[in-house]
Amino acid sequence: MTMEINISELKRAHLFELAGRVDSTNASELGETLNRVVENGRTNLVLDLYGVEYMSSAGLREMVRVLKRVKKSGGDLRIANPSERVKEVLELAGLDTIFNIYPTQVEAVGSF
Amino acid sequence: MGEVSRLVVSARLENVRQACDFIVEAAEAAALDERAVYHCQMAVDEALTNVIEHGYTYQSNGSPIEITAEMNAGVFVITIIDEGPAFNPLEHEAPDPAAPLDTREPGGWGIYFIRKLMDDVQYTRTANRNFLTLTKHVPRSDVSGAPVEETDALFPVRQLDSGAVIVSPSGRLDSNTSPMLENTLTMQLEQGHTWLFVDMIDVEYIASSGLKVLVSIWRRAQERDGNVILSGLQPRIVEIFEMVGFDMLLDIFPDIDSALAAQAKKT
Repeated sequence: MTMEINISELKRAHLFELAGRVDSTNASELGETLNRVVENGRTNLVLDLYGVEYMSSAGLREMVRVLKRVKKSGGDLRIANPSERVKEVLELAGLDTIFNIYPTQVEAVGSF
Repeated sequence: MGEVSRLVVSARLENVRQACDFIVEAAEAAALDERAVYHCQMAVDEALTNVIEHGYTYQSNGSPIEITAEMNAGVFVITIIDEGPAFNPLEHEAPDPAAPLDTREPGGWGIYFIRKLMDDVQYTRTANRNFLTLTKHVPRSDVSGAPVEETDALFPVRQLDSGAVIVSPSGRLDSNTSPMLENTLTMQLEQGHTWLFVDMIDVEYIASSGLKVLVSIWRRAQERDGNVILSGLQPRIVEIFEMVGFDMLLDIFPDIDSALAAQAKKT
């Protein structure tokens, strides 16, 4: 399974539901999808990782890039539902202290 | 001494996934647990991505990269051999996971992860080739947990008045335990029970070896006008089934009662 991104425009934030594998072959697509929304002036973003079975550092790199960008405009990229494995990888990279991470999509969206 | 698995791919990013699939298969066959399998997959992904993006700098696009995997005395050893220019990833400075966002470089994490995820990483340059050797120790609990050796071990089976049977596997269906499922189901087929209800409520994990057993038994049951009907799959297992398209092949019910009820209606 490759990567799928489902975007919903909510009142509080833009929600990106991500599924499949995020690796060096498709991470840039994730970055571009997030950036398109940022370019339209929306900087409150929630990335729901529920369906992500695998993410390599290429995916983390895109997430950090987008986070840096939205933070500058007073927005945030918040993460919901990482799997145990993805959570471990976020922790290894020290990203658990940099990203706001929520156990559910509702909590992540509601945090804005 | 284990068997050495080997894969050769050309140095293109789109082949990294094939290498990931290869290493997952090899690590599962070596009975690594899910977490260790994930770590091996990520380490190989990062190592190959490094070789392709930095080592070859895209110029010799298509040169071969060889990956081998071997289980040896409780240690899973992966080697990645490429013909690119000398490139020692271990010499590159690792990023700092404690760095705050504003001083943080987005990338450069590949080798950091390889080191964190694997127990040992070695680089050598020999005969104009780069050798990266990644080692993963098998967690102690798995080493002591002896693999299912007695081939006559079977999962519980309950026979119904209709002649159908309910088979109840439990725990992990991986390369150690899938033969036990295969034996159980094959025995039922050979005894003429071609309607096989497999209640997966107590199955916490299924590896490709378990999927293979279900499909091969399903085929054999279909040949004999029977069927394999699954129930009680945990959400993560449903996901795996959907990923490989088995949800379209096999009848799946939320629980054994609804599976039996649906079958009773048909007949």
